[in-house]
Amino acid sequence: MEILVCIKQVPDDSVNIKMNPATNAPDLDIATPIVNAFDTYALEMATRLKEAIGDSTITVVSVGPDKAKDAIKTCLAVGASKGYVVKADATDTISTADALAKAVAKIEEAEGVKFDIIFCGKESTDCASGQVGTMLAEDLDVPVVTNLVDIEKIDAGISAKQETEEGYNIIEVAMPCVVTVTKPEYEPRYPTIKSKMAARKIPIGELEIGDVVAPAVTVVANAEPPKKAAGVKINEETLEESMAMALGMMRDAKVL
Amino acid sequence: MGCKNVMVYVETAESKPVNVGLEMLTAAKEVAEKVTAVVIGAADAAATAIAYGADDAITVDAAEYNTEAYAAIVVELVKKYAPEMLFVGATPNGKDLGARVAAKLKAGCVTDVIGMKEADGKIVLTAPLYGGTIYSDVTVEGTVVAIIRGGAFKKAEEPDTAKEGTITAETVEIADLRAKIVNSVQEISESVNLEEAEIIVAGGRGVGSAENYELVKELASLLGGVVGATRPVIEEGWVSRAHQVGQSGKIVAPKLYIACGISGAAQHISGITGSDYIVAINKDEDAPIFEISNIGIVGNCVDALKIMIEEVKKMQA
Repeated sequence: MEILVCIKQVPDDSVNIKMNPATNAPDLDIATPIVNAFDTYALEMATRLKEAIGDSTITVVSVGPDKAKDAIKTCLAVGASKGYVVKADATDTISTADALAKAVAKIEEAEGVKFDIIFCGKESTDCASGQVGTMLAEDLDVPVVTNLVDIEKIDAGISAKQETEEGYNIIEVAMPCVVTVTKPEYEPRYPTIKSKMAARKIPIGELEIGDVVAPAVTVVANAEPPKKAAGVKINEETLEESMAMALGMMRDAKVL
Repeated sequence: MGCKNVMVYVETAESKPVNVGLEMLTAAKEVAEKVTAVVIGAADAAATAIAYGADDAITVDAAEYNTEAYAAIVVELVKKYAPEMLFVGATPNGKDLGARVAAKLKAGCVTDVIGMKEADGKIVLTAPLYGGTIYSDVTVEGTVVAIIRGGAFKKAEEPDTAKEGTITAETVEIADLRAKIVNSVQEISESVNLEEAEIIVAGGRGVGSAENYELVKELASLLGGVVGATRPVIEEGWVSRAHQVGQSGKIVAPKLYIACGISGAAQHISGITGSDYIVAINKDEDAPIFEISNIGIVGNCVDALKIMIEEVKKMQA
C-alpha cells in the first residue's frame, strides 16, 4: 500500500510566542522548529498500519521553506522512507491544500504510484485551524475521515476509529482517502541512532508545483492578547494562613 | 453595518440549539443587516434561534449528524441564499463542517474566531495563534466561513419569544455518502456542562493522583460547580475527557475558576481567560497561571483543597 503523510514544521508549542517589537511580528526565533505534534501522531499511526499489513511505503511531504527538510529528516527516522518538500506561495488553508493536492499529483507521477491513504494531523499546533486535511480531500475528490485515534485495513478499504465528544464512531471508507489524526492512546516512537543514520542518507526531493490558488485569508495585524490585571500572590508562613487570607478575599469579592 | 446578510448554522443537541449557536446570533446581528439561522434535523430549534436574534430561519429535514450530509446541505443553502458570511460554532462537529463547506465553496475559512470588528468597510476577524499567545486579525476575500469559538460572544440574556420571523423549510437531496458510520459508541455518559458553569474547580498534574483528584471533585460538588481538568490529567485517566478545559477542550467563562496544581500552559490559559475571577493554587511561585489570577496561593494544592473543603463546609453549616 502507498501511504502519504503530510507534515508541517511548527515552532515548539511548549514555548510561549511573543511579539517582536522590532519587526511587529510574532517572534518565532525563540522556539525550536519541530514536527507538528498531530503530524507525529499521524506518522506513528501510518507506521503501525504499515507494520500490520506489510508491503507498504510511507512518503512524507511538507509545504514549507528549505529548513522544513529538517522536519522531514526527523520523519524519515521514525517510519517514513521517502520525503519531499514543496515550495509554494501558500499562506492560508485553501492555498496550502491546493499546494498539497498539486504535490500529490507530482509525487505520484515521479514515483509511478497512486496513494491509497493520505494521513494528516487533525490540526497544526501553531494555527490550529483544522482545515487543511478536509480541503485536501475535497481538492483530490476523495472521502475524508477526521479525528482518528485508530485505523485498520479491511477488505472494503479502511475502518477508522473517530474520536467524538461522547466516545467514538467506527467509520468505513473506500480508498483512496484522506484521514486526519488526533492524539491516539500511544506515543510516537523515538528514532534510534541507527535509524537516524539511515535517514540522513535519504535524499529529500524538492518539488516545483507552479502557481497555487490565491490565498483568501490575509493577516492584517498580530498582537499579544490583552493582559489581565495582575492579582495578589499570597505566600504566608503557613498554608493555613495563606488560605485564610485567600478565603477572606474571595468572600469580600463575593465569589464564594 | 459591515455586511448585508449572515447565515448562521445553529448546531443542535437533542433538538435544542447548543450555546455557541445562540451566541453567534449576537455576533451576527452586530455586523449584518440580516441574520438567517439554519437548523438541520431539528425544526423546533428554528423558533428559538429567532427568539435569540435571527431575523428568519431555514429548516432542513435530515437524519442524525453526519459531516458529509450536513455539509452538502449547508453548501446548497449558501449557494441559494448567497450570504456574505457563514457562521459555524467551533464544536468538534462544527469545525469539521465549516472546513468541509469552505472546501466545497473554495471560500476563505477562519477557525476559532474570538472577535469581530469593522475597518475600512471590511470585516476583520480575530483568531488565536500559537496556542493563544498571539491574537491575529485577518480579512477574507469573497465568501467568509467563520468558525466561531464558544464563549467569545454572549447569547441574548432573555429570548424575545414574541419576535416574529419567517421559517422556511427547504429540502436538499443528499448524494450517497462515501464515509459510512457503521457504529457509534458512547463511552462517556456523564453530562459535563463546562460552558455554562458558574463555578469550575479544575485540577492539573500537580494534584498528583486519581485519589487526590477526588478532592477537586468534592470541592466542585460542595460549591455547586463543575469539575475541569488539563490535558495531562485526562491522559493520566483521573477524569474523562469531557472535563478538559483549554484549546483542545472546552473554552469556559465561569464567575469563579479555581485552578489547583495547574501551572498554566498557554493552551490551558487560552481556554479560561474569559473567567470573571480566577483563584490559583500552585507550589511553584513562578507558575504562569499566577499572571492571570486574581488570587494566587503559593503552596501545596492538595492541602489547600482540604482546607478549602473544610471552610466551605463550615460556611454552609
